[in-house]
Amino acid sequence: MNKRLFAFTALFLAAAGLLTAASPPHLAIRGARVFTVSGAVLEHGTVLLKDGLIEAVGEGIAIPAGVTVIDGTGLNVYPGLIDALSAWGIPETVPAAPAAPAAAATPGQGQQQPPPQPRVRGPEDRPNAFTWVKAADLVKPSEKQIETARSAGFTTAVTFPKQGILAGHGAVINLGGETGGEMVLDPAAGLYTSVTTRGFGTFPGSLMGVMAYLRQLWIDAAYYKLAREAYARDPVTNPRPAYDRALEGLLDTHRLLLPATSRVQIERMLRFGAEFKTPFVLYGGQSAYETVSELKRAGVPVILNVKWPLKEKDSDPEEIPSMKTLQLRDKAPTTPVALAAAGVPFAVCSEGLDAPKDVIKALKKSIDLGLKPADAIRALTLSAAEIYGLSGRLGSIEKGKLANLTITKGDLFDDKTTVSMIFVDGKKYVPAPEAPTPPRQGGAKSPEVGQ
Amino acid sequence: MNRALIASLAFIVVLAATAAPASAEEGGGSFLLKNVTLHPVSGPKLDNASVLVVDGRIAEVGMKVAAPKTKLRVIDGKGLHVWPGMINSGTTVGLSEIGSIRETNDTGELGIFDPQLRPIVALNPESEYIPVVRANGITMAALLPAMPGGRRSDGANTQLIGGQISIAHLAGWTWEEMEVRRAGGMHLSYPAISAVSFDPATFSTRRGSAYPKAKQQHDLQVQELSGFFDDARAYWTAKKAGVAVKADLKFEAMIPVLDGKVPLVAFASHEREIKEAIEFAERQNVKLVLANVIKPRSALELIAKKKIPVILGRTQVGTDEEDDPYDEPYTLPARLNEAGVKFCFGTFDEQFARNLPYQASQGVPFGLPYDAALRSVTLSAAEIWGIDKDYGSIEAGKVADLVVTDGDLLEVKTDVKMLFIRGSEADLETKHTRLYKKYMARP
Repeated sequence: MNKRLFAFTALFLAAAGLLTAASPPHLAIRGARVFTVSGAVLEHGTVLLKDGLIEAVGEGIAIPAGVTVIDGTGLNVYPGLIDALSAWGIPETVPAAPAAPAAAATPGQGQQQPPPQPRVRGPEDRPNAFTWVKAADLVKPSEKQIETARSAGFTTAVTFPKQGILAGHGAVINLGGETGGEMVLDPAAGLYTSVTTRGFGTFPGSLMGVMAYLRQLWIDAAYYKLAREAYARDPVTNPRPAYDRALEGLLDTHRLLLPATSRVQIERMLRFGAEFKTPFVLYGGQSAYETVSELKRAGVPVILNVKWPLKEKDSDPEEIPSMKTLQLRDKAPTTPVALAAAGVPFAVCSEGLDAPKDVIKALKKSIDLGLKPADAIRALTLSAAEIYGLSGRLGSIEKGKLANLTITKGDLFDDKTTVSMIFVDGKKYVPAPEAPTPPRQGGAKSPEVGQ
Repeated sequence: MNRALIASLAFIVVLAATAAPASAEEGGGSFLLKNVTLHPVSGPKLDNASVLVVDGRIAEVGMKVAAPKTKLRVIDGKGLHVWPGMINSGTTVGLSEIGSIRETNDTGELGIFDPQLRPIVALNPESEYIPVVRANGITMAALLPAMPGGRRSDGANTQLIGGQISIAHLAGWTWEEMEVRRAGGMHLSYPAISAVSFDPATFSTRRGSAYPKAKQQHDLQVQELSGFFDDARAYWTAKKAGVAVKADLKFEAMIPVLDGKVPLVAFASHEREIKEAIEFAERQNVKLVLANVIKPRSALELIAKKKIPVILGRTQVGTDEEDDPYDEPYTLPARLNEAGVKFCFGTFDEQFARNLPYQASQGVPFGLPYDAALRSVTLSAAEIWGIDKDYGSIEAGKVADLVVTDGDLLEVKTDVKMLFIRGSEADLETKHTRLYKKYMARP
């Protein structure tokens, strides 16, 4: 008897361990307004969640016995919101990646501040190309922004390292989980490219230098690949190529993120991006209202920065802004309207905004200017999933998809609406109480109500 | 033997005197210039006219000027035009030779208030720029002690009062010979709110965001400036009252300004600074001249109403901001003229000081009457500097600063054939002509 009890206990513990400590409960949300995104809105829908996935969704579906039921009356259920470009979850004090080539890297992981770098002479020194950096290796569930973002209704984010011209590979992460590894849905979301220079005295110091440098890196990578393959085939006659971590990282790229805000930048990047024979996405895109037909023709999606340009707070009261500035201030919020009307796929990102919830406020502004709420929701969910090739798992409320849900009391875009609860991988979270001042946001831990 | 030595010495002295490139001593040459087209500026053009110059001054102007019986140089100027010498109303010519070589620069003294500085004493008569400027028909210049626009990293001006503005002839052996007015004006870089920050990473300027800080700096500097004027006035008052005061060169230099004898030349480019500078000058009860006015907007009415003269800067420039009409810098002289504002031109540099006539003529296709353009660089300039009794036009009694050309004075294609400063013929050879001759003679 004692023995049997022991065996039973051991078995139980083993099972529990396998399913991780807090296994997502089997539960149902009943009688809610369900925005499936992939299909029609269900006025009295029921969503069944099991093992972190959506088990079933529909109106009037039977709820099995023993399932925890949440009364969804008066609640709106959305697929978990996705922020398509951020640095959430990556600690701000990421150790500065050494700029020197691999050969010069200091032993001991190079975690310390590297000694003064030798002067960069050109592309061969691979300056600011940190293609071996992966957001998936850096994310930490303890980062405060994760809770802040989740409290605003975001269940998923695409997070990128941002230092350098080729800053590294982004990761699609769920905003919940015990470890960084558990959060990661896709460690190869794309390579983050920036064209800002660090000024004089360093290569590349100009925009044209950056563009030429990026081209050179791609040419070098293609050659490196050939040399590597040739050496693998026949190490006797073919020379052994020197290992180059910058090129290794580049060859692992499946998607490129290129910056483009103004019309000129968008047109330039559409041409430039096509040179690399790698799928690419433009981020920024506030002037895309002017270039919808070009974007449509190129079939390139946009990750729209929704920090709509406003009059700078501390600007000179007598300064008369330029027509271009006024035009962008006026027209930028209509970009989602234009993109949706033209059928250009777009998602949105919080970059530059003070708080994640401001993304929703910014979209509300576009809705007031003619954006259909359904298109706004799609940009926050399924479109983002499609852009990152994860629409099989994310972005809509369908059987088999991840149990990522955002549940609100009231319409998502209504000012008075509050987020009631969030499900990430089937695990329930309630929003953290609003912090008194924005800089100290997310200070309090949210009580977890997982059962 | 002793006599022979004296004779040869005397010969050398005579030689030296005749070789003088431009002896501009008072009591210079006498001559009759006849058969010329005369542009007196003070009156209408005269064809086939003559000018009689006696001892450096214009004795007679007209159609029938009889040559005195004495042996006099007579110049037949058939086909040539005669104009008053032009005045560059703001330049560092002769003070700064090569910007990058510290030893050749005598401008921009350190310190916020330097009213005691007199740029005339720093004038280098050997400057290569002087003959070049002169050869374009410019006989006189207002020498700036400093170039406006120096800013500290916090947006504040590096200097407020840079020194006196001296008026000098552009020919002479020494600065004393070249001096016209030691203190023709007092330079002031009026503090502007500079909410423009420079981003060294992109090598571009950025507007906005820095405003509250810039405003604060500006207010502090205005306060400092008022304080300085108040102190100077207190010094002057005490001195007038016979109180024993410790001599202070800065305050001494301010007395003619406070007394209204020397104008305060305030560099103020935009609407806000212009209005503030006008208000400041009124409060301090000093005579004001505005310099480097670029975009006065609504301040133009005020300038006109208060009858404040203006020294304009370069007109052949691009627009100040991207939405400005392309011709805004070109039409500015016409707009001032229409409003009845008296204006002249300065180049505010040394290398391009010779381009003064083109600065004035740029406005002509954009609405400025030709006569107003010509007047701006001659008589108006003389009036603004308070030297119109002697300069600025071709009239009997005035100093013979004359330019003889083969065409329109303000036209690029025109050549200056002769140039007289105080009646003395000035050398028209320049570094440019020397190099031209040298390389034309290359085998």
